Amino acid sequence: MHSFSYNDMQFSVEKRDDRWDISYQLPNGSSALAGAGLFAGLQESEAAARALALIKTIFPVGIRSVGPDVTHPNTIGDLKIVGPDVTHPNFIYWNKDSVSCPKVL
Amino acid sequence: MEIKGSVALVTGGGNGIGEAVVKHFARHGARVAVVDMVQKNIDRVVKDIKDLGGEAIGIQANVTSEADIARMIKGTVEAFGKLNIAVACAGIIRDGTMLSLDKETGKVSKKLGLDKWQAVIDTNLTGTFLTMRDAAEAMVNGGWEGLLVPISSVNKVGQVGQINYSSAKVADALMPKTIVGEFLMRGIRNIRCVAIAPGYTATPMLTGMNQDALKAILEDVHLGRLVAPEEIASIIGHCVENEALNATTIEITGGLCYPKGIAK
Repeated sequence: MHSFSYNDMQFSVEKRDDRWDISYQLPNGSSALAGAGLFAGLQESEAAARALALIKTIFPVGIRSVGPDVTHPNTIGDLKIVGPDVTHPNFIYWNKDSVSCPKVL
Repeated sequence: MEIKGSVALVTGGGNGIGEAVVKHFARHGARVAVVDMVQKNIDRVVKDIKDLGGEAIGIQANVTSEADIARMIKGTVEAFGKLNIAVACAGIIRDGTMLSLDKETGKVSKKLGLDKWQAVIDTNLTGTFLTMRDAAEAMVNGGWEGLLVPISSVNKVGQVGQINYSSAKVADALMPKTIVGEFLMRGIRNIRCVAIAPGYTATPMLTGMNQDALKAILEDVHLGRLVAPEEIASIIGHCVENEALNATTIEITGGLCYPKGIAK
């Protein structure tokens, strides 16, 4: 079994028959599967590298910067309530994970 | 195209029809990407597929976001090396009539809000478009055989209280004609597109509704029960394997009729 930390999450890559499962720890202490039955026939080092690349794609480190969605307000009478624009394409990828960019207290 | 050995991506794969589609593909030997907004649903379905002995990854994504769509396609190809089937099950409802009248004055007292309109159009139409577009891009650039499956609805004929949903679903139903026509024009022969228009289906949304209302709905269904999600999944599986099915929308309703017995 191979373990790695990424973006403050703990992942493990575990062999099952000739395939690999990727699991990760949930905040409540239980674990969930990010992938099951992957990378058939690969050695541990290759599977670990593929798993890390896949996890970086599936769980991108990033900041979603959203502005007010002024075109779709919820209205109550004349009152307009403007929520966040969750469809705004303004997505900033922060390409350093928590390991390469440690917290400074 | 055979399901066994192919790679499928299903949005809304965390419950309802999407979950049934994912599990149908996994049981028949496909590798699957489970895409959903709700992480706990993704986790549950991926675990179920593991228990079936299948191959799966889970990707949390919002289909209205181009960045999320690009990420789910990239993740699928990274995990499995290709993409053959994309099924756009992700959908929402925000029901309401366009106008409501005050019973005493007869004047308009309320209008369907733009928030309810836009949310449904964004998820059910734009989300489907983005899923089909980027999946097709990956299939063309990868040279892989493919099938695109927009999920429409029998309510594409126009359902009272669902102007947003019906508008999106009738547009989804038209996608196969346009997409395959464009593929023909561009010389793209390796990708088909078939939409599915389910009738009232036994998803948590319907089985959890008022049971009297549900009973009234079923009076108009010749089959006498809700369509099972697995039956929808089965017809999608058939679409994968039957190459003559293309550029069309298939209804699977159990014989849903208007109250006087005219088939919808």
